[in-house]
Amino acid sequence: MLQHLFKLIWNKKGTHSLLIIEILASFLVLFGVLSLIVFNVRNFLQPIGFEYEQVWNLDLASNQDTVDVSRKLTNVMQRIRSYKEVETASRMSSNAPFSANQVSSSITYNKVSVGADFYATDQDFNKVLDLPLLKGRWYREGDRVAKFIPIVINKKTEEKLFLNETSLNKIIKVDDKRSYKVVGVVESFKAKGEFMSDSPALFEMIAKDDSWNSNVLIKTKRGTDANFEAQLVKDMAVMLPGWGIEVSYLKESRHNRHNLTLVPVIIFLIVSAFLLTNVALGLFGILNLNISRRKNEIGLRRAMGATEGKVIIQFLGEIWVIATFSLIIGLLFAIQFPLMNVFDLDSEIYITSIFASIAVIYMIVTLCAWLPSKQASRIHPALALHEE
Amino acid sequence: MIKLENVEKVYRTSAIETLALNNININVRKGEFVSIMGPSGCGKSTLLNIMGLLDTPSKGHIEIDGSKVEKYTDKSLAHLRNQKLGFIFQSFHLINDLSVIDNVEIPLLYRTSSSKDRRELAQEALEKVGLSNRMKHFPKQLSGGQKQRVAIARAIVGKPEIILADEPTGNLDSAMGNEILSILQQLNEGGATIVMVTHDDAMAKRTHRLIRLFDGTQVF
Repeated sequence: MLQHLFKLIWNKKGTHSLLIIEILASFLVLFGVLSLIVFNVRNFLQPIGFEYEQVWNLDLASNQDTVDVSRKLTNVMQRIRSYKEVETASRMSSNAPFSANQVSSSITYNKVSVGADFYATDQDFNKVLDLPLLKGRWYREGDRVAKFIPIVINKKTEEKLFLNETSLNKIIKVDDKRSYKVVGVVESFKAKGEFMSDSPALFEMIAKDDSWNSNVLIKTKRGTDANFEAQLVKDMAVMLPGWGIEVSYLKESRHNRHNLTLVPVIIFLIVSAFLLTNVALGLFGILNLNISRRKNEIGLRRAMGATEGKVIIQFLGEIWVIATFSLIIGLLFAIQFPLMNVFDLDSEIYITSIFASIAVIYMIVTLCAWLPSKQASRIHPALALHEE
Repeated sequence: MIKLENVEKVYRTSAIETLALNNININVRKGEFVSIMGPSGCGKSTLLNIMGLLDTPSKGHIEIDGSKVEKYTDKSLAHLRNQKLGFIFQSFHLINDLSVIDNVEIPLLYRTSSSKDRRELAQEALEKVGLSNRMKHFPKQLSGGQKQRVAIARAIVGKPEIILADEPTGNLDSAMGNEILSILQQLNEGGATIVMVTHDDAMAKRTHRLIRLFDGTQVF
């Protein structure tokens, strides 16, 4: 029967070409949307790597002030750490968790180069964000006198840069200029939130006289409220006249960050759902018309021994065959993504999306063909054969 | 082989009721070649559809090869049609998108047989009707007579005991019509029971027995 169906559709390929193209287009759109969804879901299921619930980000902008900035920032840190509401605080670069900023560089070890996100932080950063260390230790004040600048890397960097070697105490080069020594390895650090993929990252110790990195992450004690925020801003304004002072909660920043990821996905999803609905309605109409044109054939098949069930299978089978032709063409395109490692995504994402798209396409065509096929099976054979 | 007892067929709509067949009693014996004649609209095709289990009577009983079919399910009726009956239609009812041999194979699709067996049986049937050289052709490439021969091959491919032909020569010229009737006679001589609806007296005379219908009633 399957061979018969393929033959029937193949002989009518000209008539079915538009239908095949329509299903092919749906498959490709679905594949794109599902790849995006699978990518984000997979990322979401991986741990973010740090705690953010009680952490505030104090963004200080020196504006026109260029006088003794480094000393002023050191004083600010001392003041912040002295509050009873503060558990611990850390200075860091402008690419604070959930911010839109990103700093990237190329790191090299043994002729292997990897692009990584750079975070300039101090010795308390891991305490503020409860960043667990897998190997080694976090850098400390004493490391400043060492020959090489200490850095902490994440597991992803270790995997990509050191392959099967251990990374601790290895010297790596950044942008082929500065040399750093790996002192510790953390599990993961998804600074842009759960939807970010776990990509290579490294944490560099801020220089003692640094005047650029003026973000402060403050881990507050439980129950700390807006009164402290007001107090903090007021004190900072006194200490840093003319500076921009802005406090944000990482919890809220994370929420905003998620929206930035989810909104485009939802828009794509709505557009493709609309497209698929149109395709489904079109398919339903074409199948209905097709069946009314083939009443003689239905009557003939019933006369030759087809049961109602076999007539349903016949029409469902035909649309499955048409969908299969479309999917074979679609697969030729879709399979290039994992093979050519497009967008540097894990091939598993593409493979999952391909299978999911195939399942959705077969589901849609089955739903569209079910009712017309059922109607076809109910056509009275004597009447169908009588119609010219 | 086919027995109809007190068969009545009424078509009902909300407005009218039409009596298509009234008190029909027919017994077609095994190996008989029976023709049914009558004016247009007298119920010939309705009678043939009822004999072919494509339609159900409003009243009366039908027996096919000794089995009463009134309580048969759709599946059982389909099975019976597939195994015991072969149909030939005036307008051939060939599927234009399938080649001649694929058209002939259709009844075998509803049996459990391998594609090789199907192909062999279809080739055999086409040889019987003299069309073995047209197997790969499509219906649009054939003449009316050739189309009807394909339809006959399709009707006999499953080796049914009964062949029901609804005006098989109606769309053909007399030469072609004679050729088709000769094929049917050969099949009958080979053991097939044939019931043929026709308008042509000359054709009917070449059958064993004639059943006449008038306004849905059997005329003796």
